[in-house]
Amino acid sequence: MRALVVEDDEDLNRQLVAALSDSGYAVDSAVDGEEGYFLGDTEPYDVVILDIGLPKMDGISVLEQWRRADRKMPVIILTARDRWSDKVAGMDAGADDYLAKPFHMEELLARVRAQVRRATGHAKSEIECGALRLDTKSARVTCDGQPIKLTSHEYRLLAYLMHHNGRVVSRTELVEHLYEQDFDRDSNTIEVFIGRLRKKIPGDLIQTVRGLGYRLSEEPEQG
Amino acid sequence: MRFNSLAFRLFATAAAWTLVVLPLAGIIIYRLYRDDVQASFDGQLQKLVNAITVDSMGAGDAPPTAPANLYEPLFEITHSGWYWQIKPLDDPSGLRLVSPSLATASLPSPAARGITPDSSGARWMDVFGPKREPLRVVEVIDSLGHEPDKPRFSIIVAGPLDWLEHLISNFRNRLTIALALAGLGLLAVTVFQVRFGLLPLRQIEGGLSAIRSGDATKLEGELPAEIEPLQSELNALIHSNQEIIERARTQVGNLAHALKTPLAVITNEARDDKSGIGAKVEQQAHIMTDSINHYLDRARMAARVGVIGRVTPVPPVLSPLVRTLERIHKDKGIEIDVECPPDARFQGERQDLEEMLGNLLDNACKWADQRVTLKVEVSGTTGRAKGRRLKITVADDGPGVSTELRGRLGKRGLRLDETKPGSGLGLSIVSDLAQSYRGSCKLARGPEGGLSASLELPAA
Repeated sequence: MRALVVEDDEDLNRQLVAALSDSGYAVDSAVDGEEGYFLGDTEPYDVVILDIGLPKMDGISVLEQWRRADRKMPVIILTARDRWSDKVAGMDAGADDYLAKPFHMEELLARVRAQVRRATGHAKSEIECGALRLDTKSARVTCDGQPIKLTSHEYRLLAYLMHHNGRVVSRTELVEHLYEQDFDRDSNTIEVFIGRLRKKIPGDLIQTVRGLGYRLSEEPEQG
Repeated sequence: MRFNSLAFRLFATAAAWTLVVLPLAGIIIYRLYRDDVQASFDGQLQKLVNAITVDSMGAGDAPPTAPANLYEPLFEITHSGWYWQIKPLDDPSGLRLVSPSLATASLPSPAARGITPDSSGARWMDVFGPKREPLRVVEVIDSLGHEPDKPRFSIIVAGPLDWLEHLISNFRNRLTIALALAGLGLLAVTVFQVRFGLLPLRQIEGGLSAIRSGDATKLEGELPAEIEPLQSELNALIHSNQEIIERARTQVGNLAHALKTPLAVITNEARDDKSGIGAKVEQQAHIMTDSINHYLDRARMAARVGVIGRVTPVPPVLSPLVRTLERIHKDKGIEIDVECPPDARFQGERQDLEEMLGNLLDNACKWADQRVTLKVEVSGTTGRAKGRRLKITVADDGPGVSTELRGRLGKRGLRLDETKPGSGLGLSIVSDLAQSYRGSCKLARGPEGGLSASLELPAA
């Protein structure tokens, strides 16, 4: 899962990035509206944390421009202006949720999880696929109740596949959604991680669809 | 008309002037007329006495003769009021000549009563005649054509005064009626003048009450030159008032923004710190946040006090809030049913209404199972805008709150369920805001078992 943090206060920006990274997200960050807009416009994020009061271009304008360009990723706006008229303006500009400063990081993370789940069509905080169970709250994966130890990259890959289970996910999509912007993207590394995951989780849950990508499914492989 | 009013002042001064001037003018005109009439009557008598004097002269030493009564036919009619009499002064037994009208009576002599003659030698006196009628008498002493040392005669002519009095009183009555009518006319004109002249002030009064009730934002209309400066000053005042409020709101918002980001940083940093100081800092930062929110709310409310009232139509506030809240709580699939008369209007600031409704609806959505209902009612629709109240009820179909706990709800910072996100300030803000509008916020058990919050606010 990739997240974008657009916040001009450097300390808060750093804290947000740290908290999201700890929760298994690949995080990019921007400290002004223009940079934030550019990143959101070019990279495929799964969730965006957007401050309203930004230099160069305010958050509402950034959001409106994304939506006009048909960028549909979930956006949580962050602001000190907590009057309902501000919330209405934010939601009308296309935000999916709203959080007033100061906030508890746990609450922000809960809302981020909720937005990611909502975007991928999962109602509960736990996603299941066969014997596999992903607890998005604690960022833990269990198989038949037994915890599975995963590295952060393995977790990201599996979490992404589980959020999109049943759907064929291309290698490019995985690269785009699993790594930060400046990461050296080599799609071969995906194959390495898929191989490692297949050893850790049972059976043939991760299917290879030739020429298209991968699919996480409990149903037997077709063809 | 009140005593302490411009209209009364203008009317009273104009009326007092009319009441003094008209009677005074009446008295002067009456006197002039009376003197004129008397003088002309006296002139007529004088002419008669002179004519009789000349006409009655005898030739040489011959005694005077009765004059031919050509001058006044009424000398011929008994007791007509018109008389003449010629009497020798030195010889009491001498011949006395009188007009037929006098018959056997005689006229008293002013000379005998010691009245001095005027410059023409005539003596004047008012007496009562043979029929006790008032008479004007003139007497001339003359020797009637004889040598100056010869016996002298008293020639007296009398005319009726009652005729004169009649003439004068007739005039007086007509004058009084005419002046009274003129006075009434003047008063009527004054009333009209005052009303018409002060009409623009009524216009201002109407304009100000329209601003107060929120139907207008400034004093409209063409006003006369004298009060046009007042109009522009008032408009400037209203405008600057609104600007001050806007500025206060903006600065309050800026302050909030400036303080809340560092507080967010401190809080997050403190949470990661495992030494004792972290917990302390977090606790203090929480208190600071609470204080900032509290005083920001206060400042927002204070900025509103004394502002000429604004009116906020309710339906346009509802739909964006409902849209936003349904979106925020999309996961739960909350449905918000709104029932609101299209002409419901709140006497107050839009932001404050948004704040109250937003917090109540947000609370309801957090706890609701599926449905939240919002109902707006206007009471006292008939009659004037004053005293009309808005009743807004927000109810949910959630678990509700027990009667015992309900009493504690709305206390600042109290959160009955710490697992749900929130600051614990929502209801206390609603209740503070409602009170600042002399309204109230009451909690009860809703029809579907959930919590029902009723706001009572002034309507416009």
